[in-house]
Amino acid sequence: MHLTSPEALKRLKSQLVRQRKENKSVITVCAGTGCVACGCAAVSAAFREALKENHLEEKVEIKTTGCHGFCERGPLVVMRPEGIFYQRVKPADAKQIVEKTIKQGKVIEKLLYRDPQTKQLLTYEKDIPFYNKQERLIFGMNGHMDPTSIQDYITLGGYQALGRVLVSVHPDEVIEEVKKSGLRGRGGGGFSTGRKWASCRQAEGEPKYIICNADEGDPGAFMDRSLLEGNPHAVVEGMIIGAYAIGSHDGYVYVRNEYPLAVKNLNIALAAAREYGLLGADILGSGFSFDITVSRGGGAFVCGESTALMASLEGKIGEPRAKYIHTVECGLWEKPSTLNNVETWANVPTIIEKGADWYRKIGTENSKGTKVFALTGKVNNTGLVEVPMGIPLREIIFDIGGGILDGRAFKAVQTGGPSGGCLPESALNLPVDFDTLTEAGSMMGSGGLIVMDDRTCMVDVAKYFIHFLLEESCGKCVPCREGLRQLHEMLEEISRGEGGVGTLDGIERLCSVMEQGSLCALGRSAPNPVMSTLRYFRDEYLAHLEAHRCPAGVCKALINYSVIEENCTGCVVCKRACPAEAITGEKNQVHKINSEICTRCGICLAVCKFDAILVE
Amino acid sequence: MQLTIDKRSVVARKGEYLLEVAQRNGIEIPALCHHPAVEPWGGCRLCMVEITHPDWKGWTGLVTACLYPVQDGLIVSTDTKKVHQVRAGVLDLLLARCPGSSLIQNLARQYGIEETSFTPRKAPDLCILCGLCIRICEKIGASAISSIGRGVEKLVSVPYETVATAACVGCLSCANICPTGAIAFSESEHCRTIWSRNFELVRCEECKAVIGTPEQLEHFARRSGLDRSYFTKCDSCRNREAAARFVRVTF
Amino acid sequence: MKQLFVTPNRCTACRNCEVACSFVHTSDPTVLAFPRVRAYAISENTNTVNLCLQCDDAACKKSCPVEALVWNAKTGALEVDLGRCIRCLMCTIACPFGNIHFDKRTNEIAKCDLCQGDPACAKFCPTLALEYAEKPSPDPKPGEVKPLPPIPWMLFTGKQSR
Repeated sequence: MHLTSPEALKRLKSQLVRQRKENKSVITVCAGTGCVACGCAAVSAAFREALKENHLEEKVEIKTTGCHGFCERGPLVVMRPEGIFYQRVKPADAKQIVEKTIKQGKVIEKLLYRDPQTKQLLTYEKDIPFYNKQERLIFGMNGHMDPTSIQDYITLGGYQALGRVLVSVHPDEVIEEVKKSGLRGRGGGGFSTGRKWASCRQAEGEPKYIICNADEGDPGAFMDRSLLEGNPHAVVEGMIIGAYAIGSHDGYVYVRNEYPLAVKNLNIALAAAREYGLLGADILGSGFSFDITVSRGGGAFVCGESTALMASLEGKIGEPRAKYIHTVECGLWEKPSTLNNVETWANVPTIIEKGADWYRKIGTENSKGTKVFALTGKVNNTGLVEVPMGIPLREIIFDIGGGILDGRAFKAVQTGGPSGGCLPESALNLPVDFDTLTEAGSMMGSGGLIVMDDRTCMVDVAKYFIHFLLEESCGKCVPCREGLRQLHEMLEEISRGEGGVGTLDGIERLCSVMEQGSLCALGRSAPNPVMSTLRYFRDEYLAHLEAHRCPAGVCKALINYSVIEENCTGCVVCKRACPAEAITGEKNQVHKINSEICTRCGICLAVCKFDAILVE
Repeated sequence: MQLTIDKRSVVARKGEYLLEVAQRNGIEIPALCHHPAVEPWGGCRLCMVEITHPDWKGWTGLVTACLYPVQDGLIVSTDTKKVHQVRAGVLDLLLARCPGSSLIQNLARQYGIEETSFTPRKAPDLCILCGLCIRICEKIGASAISSIGRGVEKLVSVPYETVATAACVGCLSCANICPTGAIAFSESEHCRTIWSRNFELVRCEECKAVIGTPEQLEHFARRSGLDRSYFTKCDSCRNREAAARFVRVTF
Repeated sequence: MKQLFVTPNRCTACRNCEVACSFVHTSDPTVLAFPRVRAYAISENTNTVNLCLQCDDAACKKSCPVEALVWNAKTGALEVDLGRCIRCLMCTIACPFGNIHFDKRTNEIAKCDLCQGDPACAKFCPTLALEYAEKPSPDPKPGEVKPLPPIPWMLFTGKQSR
């Protein structure tokens, strides 16, 4: 099918909507990467089999969709139109679901979700706190469509914004609308998208390039992946609108090769868009031409930095270059280039479709719209959450996230990826937006949220992130490369209880050199994990340095494992589990840990059922 | 256009960078990864200067002079407290990386650092990863060496860290441009060795002085468009021959 | 534009020019720079100097990989930009007249730069074998000074404005 005008697109949409039977039962099986890992393919196959056995293939549709976000509970199955939500579904459950829920309309209790706070069983997706506190502007379509079907996207209103723009909106007006919407770059920089587009449009030089940054590298963050896997057309449509506004005819998506499903679904989407006349020459008969090339990255964290990404696209070593001359003027192949993150591009069709005024109503004064966060760590509900800007961190962690795992105490939340910072309890009421997080010493980054409980050592956390950055620094500039080496060395010393109080002054001096001296934003923000933990958890550093103690009981050189005699029942479980054979004691007698042999692996603590292991 | 560097008014052309303008005016800014023969790179971070502008409402910034394009009215200070701090920090770090480099030792001393305050690298070499060797090799058209790996593991080498491929012409440009003398090479009677590869030596047809490797002379003849016969004798022998020829044609 | 003229039959190979050149091209008085001009006694009564011809289509310039040889528009001399030069020495091999050298003592490429328009060699030439002028001076008339043989040919250097 080749659409030659926006009217043809509209007609196709109405036709598809008519064809879609409103009350037809649909079993949606989440097929995001998380659920694929949990075995959702076998679940879909089991449903197909069960429908066949019951001769329901014609009446019930199975839809494998993109990520729903609640990865913690996968594989997820949602029965539509009712919206019954089943979690951790196994292939063996398929038969029962078809026979009970589909044929008899009965809910299967053992597959329902139990709220960890209220202990209540919840039947419908809309009642689950994880979902109902979210505002799913960008992510909403994921659970309703097959990402490999362009028809699904069109049915849900996709490409209509593009159609309208191409015939009736001048490029300058598109840019004005995006400017007015207040959209800011979701990749971490937070620069005004509209202003970026305007500078690129005005920049001299041809051709101009459009680039989508899908080189998501933050540990634990996977929103861009889920968007590309679950709704690639939204990103593609955003890019075409951007290209029209800027006057570009060549686009690139730079995506990590570690995201095979994203690459696959994106390529399917691009091929379909070309077939439908939405991409390529003379889009929808408007005379405007634009095409997109997919370029796969080798998985270097630094290639998420715009200039390093462009160098990599050019076939060079992925190293950043100075941005004194902006990439909107001199970017890819030294031509004007507009680079935006996946999530930013995915916002564009919605803004055009619903208008900047509507969009501006969501969010805070200077941060508009929603943001997708990857919520992980010691929270009950982990997964992807999309919330309006300005929501307090507390709501994300305790309402959507369902609180801290095992009922322990909250200690800190790490935002913004490896070069973000750790915020303490006192920051929990801060509204989440670009500027507030930066002021608090962290950053929005690409949207990682790692929750930590009281058993987390902040020196150890800082060391972990510095080690990550140490391995991922490109090594081009001295402050980042050599600074991270030394910073890691200093943190190692602290976690061994070595070094004096002067170590902290040394760290602060070094951090300042790195912040001011590094070439790219990654180097300049690399000290953040240390600076923010020093700012909020200085006492913990001092405990290591002065008292040679690790209060959280993590740093191995500073802790000892012992048996609390009153609690020990002599059950020998720990003795058997100890890989170092450091535990002695006969059955029914109090055990002992030989601290010289003990490797502080923590297995005894994990297996003891009587709270008889003490770490101090 | 006109700008001010250390309270001196200097003239610059559009498209120039701060460092070249400063150098032209005899204003010293230290730099390790800069060389006029190759494109500026911005890796060593030593040429940091502080800039401001009458229109910037008091805002000042630290930038690398080698890459910052000149701008009319710009006010540049090359020796502020901030500049000093960053340069000293960078040199302190470099001294921990290459404690044996006399170049780094001397520079560090100028910034009051006798000994690094950091932990010196175990088994240090002299390479500061300024990338000059890689860029000059690319500039002469060989591209035989590159950086390998990233971050603290990064090093300069030939593909797969083995022996230089046929791309290397044995011209020694990399070793000659290296500011710390980190690239080893040797030359004996018949053989030049660099990047673990042995090169034959071509000698002057008259006096037998070494004039290069066959690959090097071939490469430079090709890239300059000159006939290979231009590259057969040393300058002294050529000079004497030419003098005799002049005399023949003038008397 | 003034040019540096060489009149070989006036040359006595006294090497004053070499010494003058060495002196002006060194900043360290204890180190003599490599002379850019060389005097040769070719045979009995046949002497000459040899120095850079400032060729229009210079082989040294062509062989340079980093564009370190640049014309000085004021003097017409082809000069070495020592800041740019990477000491690959290919210019010293490429010059068919051997007039561009590598000075090991100073680690510099040594080439005639016409002393920025005031060549020392010419000033110190006692016999007018080297002259920096618009045109070479005529031979002295008999009796004026010790008679010299007539000049059958003149070598001229200096970039010609063709």
